[in-house]
Order: sequence, then C-alpha cells, then structure tokens
Amino acid sequence: MHEMGIALEILRIAGESVPDGARIERVAVAVGELSAVEPELLAAAWEAAVAGGPQAGAALEIDWRPARQTCAACGEIPERVPGSWLRLCPRCGMPLGIEGGGELDVLRVVYVEDAEETDGEVA
Amino acid sequence: MSCETDARVVEVQRRALEANEEQAARLRNRFAAAGTLVVNLISSPGSGKTTLLEATVRRLGASLRCGVLEGDVATERDADRIRALGVPAHQILTGGACHLDARLVERGLDEAAFGELDVLFIENVGNLICPTNYDLGEDFKVALLSVAEGDDKPFKYPAIFSRAEVTVVTKADLLPHLPFDLDAVRERVGTLRPGGTFLVTSATTGDGVDAWCGLIEARLRAKRNG
Ligand SMILES: Nc1nc2c(ncn2[C@@H]2O[C@H](COP(=O)(O)OP(=O)(O)OP(=O)(O)O)[C@@H](O)[C@H]2O)c(=O)[nH]1
Ligand SMILES: [Mg+2]
Ligand SMILES: [Zn+2]
Repeated sequence: MHEMGIALEILRIAGESVPDGARIERVAVAVGELSAVEPELLAAAWEAAVAGGPQAGAALEIDWRPARQTCAACGEIPERVPGSWLRLCPRCGMPLGIEGGGELDVLRVVYVEDAEETDGEVA
Repeated sequence: MSCETDARVVEVQRRALEANEEQAARLRNRFAAAGTLVVNLISSPGSGKTTLLEATVRRLGASLRCGVLEGDVATERDADRIRALGVPAHQILTGGACHLDARLVERGLDEAAFGELDVLFIENVGNLICPTNYDLGEDFKVALLSVAEGDDKPFKYPAIFSRAEVTVVTKADLLPHLPFDLDAVRERVGTLRPGGTFLVTSATTGDGVDAWCGLIEARLRAKRNG
C-alpha cells in the first residue's frame, strides 16, 4: 500500500538526477528482501506514477536483493533458499546472522537529453 | 522508439526514502536535545498496542512524563483512551495513509505541544508492512505480535521483525486456547534479529508488563547518561 509513495519519491529523485527537459527511459532501483516492498506492487505503482506525465513510458528496472544469512565461523550460508530462513548453521550449529536485504535505493537513470530533438519526426 | 545511442546514464545511488530519513534525523536531534526516549510501536490492527500503552502509562505515568502520539487512518478513539488515564495524547489522522512518516510526526508533535517529556510513545497505524520503512526519529521500534495471529508471522513479515529491536508477544493469557508455539516464535525472531529483546506480555493479567516497563526505564536512563 505504501508503494505509491515510494514510486513518487523514486520519480522525484530520478527527475533531479537528469538535465531539465530530459526524457527518462529507465530508472534502476535496488529492492531488498527485507525492505517491506513488494516488487510487483512497486512496478504497478510506478506505472501509475508516470502515467500521463512528462515521463510517461519511463521504465522501472528492479534489481532484487535477497538477504544473506551468515555464520560467524563459516561465513555466508549458501544453503539458504530465498524466502525461507535457517535458524542454525547447517555446518557448525551456531545461530546465524543476517546481512543485507534492506536496500531501497535509486541506482541509476538512463535518459535522453533534450527530448524534442530525439523524438524523431513529428507527424 | 528513439535511437539507443542517444541515451545517457547517470549513476545516482540515493536512498529512495532519503527525504523521510533526513526529516527523521532532524526529529532525532530534537529528541536527543530534549532527553526524550522515543518508542515506535508497530503491529497488525488489534494486536494490543493501545491496551499495552494503557497498562504502561498506568505504571509509568506517576514517575515519568509520558506522552503518546496515536496514528490512525480515522477516529480519535485511541488518543481518548490514553487521555482518560490523565496522560497527554494526540491523534494523528493519516487520511488514508497506511503508516506514519517523519513529516506527520513532526506536525503532530507541534500540534500536541506536550511540553517536556521523558518518554514519547508513537503508536503507528495498525499494519505490519508499511510502517517498516519509515524512520520516525525513534530510539527503537517495537513489533507487537498477539498470540491470536499465529506463530508463522515473523517469517511471513521478516522486514519488521528484523528491524524491530524489541518484539513483544501480546495477549499471552490466550495461549492455553491457541496452537501458538511460543518457543518457535522466539527462535524465528532470534533468527531475524540476533540479539534483539523478546518479551511476552498479557495486558489482561499484567504478566510481563513490569519487564516491559523496566526496559523503557532502563533505555531512558541509558539515553540520559549517554
Ligand atoms: N485477552 C486479551 N485481550 C487483549 C489484550 N490486549 C488487548 N486485548 C484486546 O484486543 C483488542 C484490540 O486491542 P487494542 O489495544 O485496541 O489493539 P491495537 O493494536 O491498538 O489496535 P489498532 O489501534 O486498531 O491497530 C481489544 O479488544 C483488547 O481488549 C490481552 O493482553 N489479552
Ligand atoms: Mg490502537
Ligand atoms: Zn557455521
């Protein structure tokens, strides 16, 4: 439900990152498994956020970042299946820690400067 | 479609919610200067946030200056429940939004004019997902989980249980009637938040409420003593 507000923030930051009058083609964002954001809902919110505006048609590219489970002794636990959680290290039996997965970042923007000139011939 | 070669790339690397985080940082400075401990309570609707706060201010209200910000989509009901106990409370109506953000808290705080407080409790809008991302300048988040909601919830909503420093299981008086595996919940929360605090309470019987209030008092002392 809060994805709309996040989509609008992403659009604001993307707009600040490109020259005036540029047309945004694509915005890449990182969304972590522990970010409380559903990628499908964010994608739908993005569609609604850009629709009918100057950046209509701009695409959102979601770079999904799973959390990692780590053991103080054995390092990262590759046995972990994303979406499920291990409580103890399968190798040494120690309790596991968690790293990453909290990402909710605007990574980069792909744009075309001066949209007027590059839009091709006007009918 | 335009010619691909015209496209330029700019690296951005900014937090999507940086605006809220900046506002929250200002609030955090304000609370630090005032020496106020701020607790952000998050749970599903009806898990017992207001009831636990009622029990809390009954115990702490005499010795500490408490204030409560109540976040709800509509109605003044929760703030009225706190005010009935002689503790100042202010209702923040989000007008449909499913969570509080730092801007709403700042505005609510200014409207409330609580004066000097030792502890500010912020009851977030009943929702286990949306409030997770929004820093309110709090000292710590508390996730509440009532035993009626089921013991699978920590792994279903890992974001909030990984970010809440304290998890409070509520309505423990109902445990005999429900298939709720308390040890499994403790383990799951421990997986998501190693080293976090795990409390079990019943506002009905009062079990665990002293431990919860003791935690608040200890955290306030720690904040005041740097
Ligand atoms: N048995 C039992 N019931 C409780 C306990 N705490 C709260 N309740 C009941 O649970 C219901 C919801 O409690 P609230 O405190 O209003 O819950 P809330 O989380 O503030 O709800 P929202 O603000 O609407 O999200 C009420 O009917 C309470 O009486 C408890 O410890 N034991
Ligand atoms: Mg309530
Ligand atoms: Zn290990």
